[in-house]
Amino acid sequence: MDRSLKARLEARLGSQLRGSVYQRGDETEIRVDPGSVPEVLTVLHDSVDLHFEILADLAGVDTGEVMQVVYHLWSPMTSDWLRVIADGISREDPRTPSATFIWTGAEWLEREAYDMFGIVFEGNRDLRRIFMPPDYTSFPLRKDFLLPDDAARSPGAGVRHVERAHVPADLADDPAAGIRRAPVS
Amino acid sequence: MATAAGAAHPWATSPSGKSTAGRQSTDDPRITLDRQVGAGLYEPIPPYPTRTEREGEFYSLGDGEMFLNVGPHHPATHGVLRLVLKLSGEQIVDVDPVLGYLHRGVEKICENSDYYHVIDQVDPLEYISSLFQEWAAVLSFEKLMDVRVPRRAEYIRVLSGELLRVASHTLYMGFLALDLGGLTPILYGFIERDEIVEMLAALTGARMLFNYYRIGGVNGDLNHEFMSRLGDWMSRAARQTEASAGLLNENEIFVRRTRGVGKMDRETALRFGVTGGNLRAAGVPFDVRRAHPYSVYPELEFNIPTRQEGDSLARYLIRVDEVRESIKIIDQCLHGMPDGPIMARLPRLLRPRPGRAWGACEGPRGMMGVYSISDGSDQPFRFRIHDPSFVNLQTVPTLLPGNLLADTMAIVASLDPVMGGIDK
Repeated sequence: MDRSLKARLEARLGSQLRGSVYQRGDETEIRVDPGSVPEVLTVLHDSVDLHFEILADLAGVDTGEVMQVVYHLWSPMTSDWLRVIADGISREDPRTPSATFIWTGAEWLEREAYDMFGIVFEGNRDLRRIFMPPDYTSFPLRKDFLLPDDAARSPGAGVRHVERAHVPADLADDPAAGIRRAPVS
Repeated sequence: MATAAGAAHPWATSPSGKSTAGRQSTDDPRITLDRQVGAGLYEPIPPYPTRTEREGEFYSLGDGEMFLNVGPHHPATHGVLRLVLKLSGEQIVDVDPVLGYLHRGVEKICENSDYYHVIDQVDPLEYISSLFQEWAAVLSFEKLMDVRVPRRAEYIRVLSGELLRVASHTLYMGFLALDLGGLTPILYGFIERDEIVEMLAALTGARMLFNYYRIGGVNGDLNHEFMSRLGDWMSRAARQTEASAGLLNENEIFVRRTRGVGKMDRETALRFGVTGGNLRAAGVPFDVRRAHPYSVYPELEFNIPTRQEGDSLARYLIRVDEVRESIKIIDQCLHGMPDGPIMARLPRLLRPRPGRAWGACEGPRGMMGVYSISDGSDQPFRFRIHDPSFVNLQTVPTLLPGNLLADTMAIVASLDPVMGGIDK
């Protein structure tokens, strides 16, 4: 855990941070608004004392309530991985700025996030599906996309109590609803 | 031949069969076949309106240009990769890689299986070096659960991992030569790999999809057969490596076809997020084993070979150097192997508290990462796999233009993509 990184991040980013800097193990986590992602990433990449030069990963996340885009960055100036979470992207119309203006390699990673979650990255010049066929219409990694054999939907759900934990978000109020409902075809 | 982008196309589905619409066709099959042949079965023009500006720009032909479809079934694409090349004469003007033929939705499957099951779900991704994919997953889960791995287990992980890295790199050297027309090195490469794979089969019980690492340790302790095979191999490993490297390093055809081809400079490599040997060949000494140490790598002595040229030859030579370093690490593991347990004590049902963890390790192709989110249940809420080949392959549209068609394979093979990992 790099305590000085926390101080540097707070000094550089200050008001753009949403909540406080969270540190655990060898990871430092900050949350920002999707709108401020370009400025934040530019500061992280260009500042001499931060210098996050490698984009280790870009992932989409569907929390069931909002969409998030998660960036993992590596810098020679710290021993921590930095996780930047662009939080609070609407699920109905997920839009967020692209990171391709710094890391060209974000292009395919964003295409993948678009393919799997439907998150539209504004500024990505080639935002089309990358894995699924062009005439495909769903976004498979969203939490409301259920597999036909999803444990929570299946008639056997509830036999093992652990499976109740994974009742889909839309059924969360009434765990029994998923058991009565027929499996999704 | 090619028609303008977006024009009505007699055959309404993609020639690759990726489209789902064509499968419900009620047409007379003979007529359909006739239409397919008539329209040019291998037409790369997308039969749908182009979706982005870049796609439209790519699929419109300039004067004297033509398309050539390489793959998805082509022996030199290392799996089912389709490269649509835009050619002017024999020179490549632009490339559009088409992925997804091997997409199995492993991330979704992992989100619906419990933490123990995830490890064998991720095995078939990087089928040439599956231990590293397991390693990234268990690293991430161990962080999520605050598990301390016994030192002996860490040593066994490093030992088996480095063995597999040698196997993967020797295969890489062989395939690179094979794609350039040399048949001999691949035979030597397979001999070497087979010895290692048999050795690992004695340790793990499987030849390719090992399912060996566990959250908190490894599945089985070192056994007699593994150790005797390993000792046997170690006695000649260094010599054998030099012999196989000597086949290519001083081969004039090989050197001429790879030197100065597919140059990737330092800045491009960093901007693309390229990792592994491809990044180190461009002069950046980034290796997760040193850049962000995990396991017992801080205790081991080894170098991070780098080169400045950034061409196909440099990427090949980096691998040769890495094999030498790996043999050094294996030697140190054998001498420093501690006694003790090989598994941490864990409950049967793993339910980590809600949280997020990113675990990354250095695979033969670069940084393997896994980002997992727990919601407190026994299944990961989100399981994200970062595959190095996916990012490395993305440089192809930058590296290929300007080169000759025949150099396509010298460049793509030197990046060492494994389609199983790319398509997830």
